[in-house]
Amino acid sequence: MIQLNNIEKVYRTDTIETQALNNISLHVQKGEFLSIMGPSGCGKSTLLNLMGLLDVPSKGDILIDQQVTQNMADTKMARFRNSRIGFIFQSYHLINDLQVLDNVELPLLYRKSTAKERRELATEALVKVGLGNRIKHFPTQLSGGQRQRVAIARAIVGRPQIILADEPTGNLDSAMGDEIMNILLDLNKTDGTTIVMVTHDANMAERTHRLVRLFDGSQVQ
Amino acid sequence: MIKHLFKLIWNKKKENFLLISEILISFLVIFAVFSSITYNYLNYREPAGFKYDDVWMADLGSPVQGENKDSVMLVFANLKNALKGMPKVRDVSLSSNNVPFSSSMMGSGVEYGHVNIQSDMYRVDKDFAKVLQMKMQSGRWFNETDRNPVYLPVVLNAAAAMALTGSANAVGKLVKMEHQTLRVIGVADNLKDKSDFKTTSPGIYTLIDTSSIRGINTMLIKVSANADARFEDQMYRLIAGTTRAHNLQVAHLSEMRTKKNKEIIVPMVILLIISGFLIFNVALGLFGVLWYNISKRRSEIGLRRALGATAAGVSGQLLGEALVLATFSLIIGSFFAVQFPLLHVYDLPAGVYMIALLLSVLFIYLLVIVCALYPGKQAAAIHPAVALHED
Ligand SMILES: Nc1ncnc2c1ncn2[C@@H]1O[C@H](COP(=O)(O)OP(=O)(O)OP(=O)(O)O)[C@@H](O)[C@H]1O
Ligand SMILES: [Mg+2]
Repeated sequence: MIQLNNIEKVYRTDTIETQALNNISLHVQKGEFLSIMGPSGCGKSTLLNLMGLLDVPSKGDILIDQQVTQNMADTKMARFRNSRIGFIFQSYHLINDLQVLDNVELPLLYRKSTAKERRELATEALVKVGLGNRIKHFPTQLSGGQRQRVAIARAIVGRPQIILADEPTGNLDSAMGDEIMNILLDLNKTDGTTIVMVTHDANMAERTHRLVRLFDGSQVQ
Repeated sequence: MIKHLFKLIWNKKKENFLLISEILISFLVIFAVFSSITYNYLNYREPAGFKYDDVWMADLGSPVQGENKDSVMLVFANLKNALKGMPKVRDVSLSSNNVPFSSSMMGSGVEYGHVNIQSDMYRVDKDFAKVLQMKMQSGRWFNETDRNPVYLPVVLNAAAAMALTGSANAVGKLVKMEHQTLRVIGVADNLKDKSDFKTTSPGIYTLIDTSSIRGINTMLIKVSANADARFEDQMYRLIAGTTRAHNLQVAHLSEMRTKKNKEIIVPMVILLIISGFLIFNVALGLFGVLWYNISKRRSEIGLRRALGATAAGVSGQLLGEALVLATFSLIIGSFFAVQFPLLHVYDLPAGVYMIALLLSVLFIYLLVIVCALYPGKQAAAIHPAVALHED
């Protein structure tokens, strides 16, 4: 489903050059639930961004569903992101000027859909993450954990084939974290959604199919 | 998507208030400018109704001295004959001094039935229409048969006829002016004789006779196209000799017209320059705010890109937001603008306001589009990962 071949990512600023990823090759199978662990700054988010086509590698290539993503035209790339990938960001990235429901509807706004459909799907996703009673709130009126759940609802609302989750339970207590984990496991099992999840929690990682460990930009396991 | 933009802007109404009021103010200024341009332009497009080329005005400066009215009449009759005898003179007419493009005005109340209007009044002779090549709409101009009529004959201009008798033909109707009853013998085309940019007000022409000859000291002279300065000099000496006028002045109607037009054009240009500066400032402000908006919203833009917005979609959204903002301003602005024709604030036709309103709305949208174009393009270039990384 996701295939990385000899990926390198170098960040260049005026003063320094950071080798964020170094020769990563990885194949995520369709329907697989993969977790990534590693110390802070080792390149986990960078790897996830590359998989989600939010960034381009400095070297190597990325295939999604057997399609080469290098040099993909902007509109095609946008459609790809929209229809196939659901992203859960480490720091939520909600739009504070929009109500929870409108935030969750966002991915649907960029594809063919009616207002009614959007409303129904977004409400359904919010109910799934236990926020059915908060749809008219603004993000700033929610707790950190609640915001994380809105971000999860937004990632699953478009029923993507792939979910890329960057520490989705990092801000939640263990009970809530478990609940989110159950949602992801359920999506993986019943819908066959391919999931790649970054986590610091070994217990969470244990419940997934496979674990990849990163250290200093390189794959160690 | 539009609904989404409205929501987004509505939720940020406090931040957008300044921009909305800025656009609103520039809209109102533009509306004023366009109203004035439209009004002047529509007037400019009206036909002049007469020919001013090669028409000279001779202003004697003071009334002709004479023992009695008849001798004054005689002086003028002789002068007209002498002038007509000159090779380059086509026609000559006496006139009250409110000739075209002069600064003189003369007016009187005119009554027909219950209708009472204020009208310009012109004292002229039977050759006046020929000198200016006026056209009649109905009836006739003065001629020899108007010597001793029962009612003094008058000619109305079209504006006066419309004001007095409406759509009914005014010819043959009796009107009252200064306690006299007068018979309308003809209706002439409107003369745009104040300036190219002024509409014609109602006007009434009466024939100069012994009762009014004392006040007459102006003549209009139609000359041939090859009349030059040397000829003007000859003519000057002839008129001065015949009338013994001390302050005789000869002027060309075409030059007087240019001067009159400047009285409208100059303030208009000044207004345009001032409002141009104002609009430029507003455009800069608009540009700045949109620009600032984008730098402030980089992570939002990155997020939208990550969720599937195309680059074109993102710049389209920013443009859309700017247009929605402008629409808010224009709705409020139009509400104010339509008060002008509704309350008759100025005496301009409602059509002028409507045209100006339309033009102003288009102008503002255009301005907003131009100002949003570059920031929008800038936004499209934002890479989602970089933008999301920042906050
Ligand atoms: N846009 C960027 N410009 C420059 N350097 C960057 C950029 N993004 C990431 N880096 C660097 O790349 C390295 C990997 O960063 P990344 O965010 O992938 O780490 P991470 O494993 O997700 O860490 P954490 O667990 O703290 O989220 C870090 O050293 C970071 O400083
Ligand atoms: Mg990270």
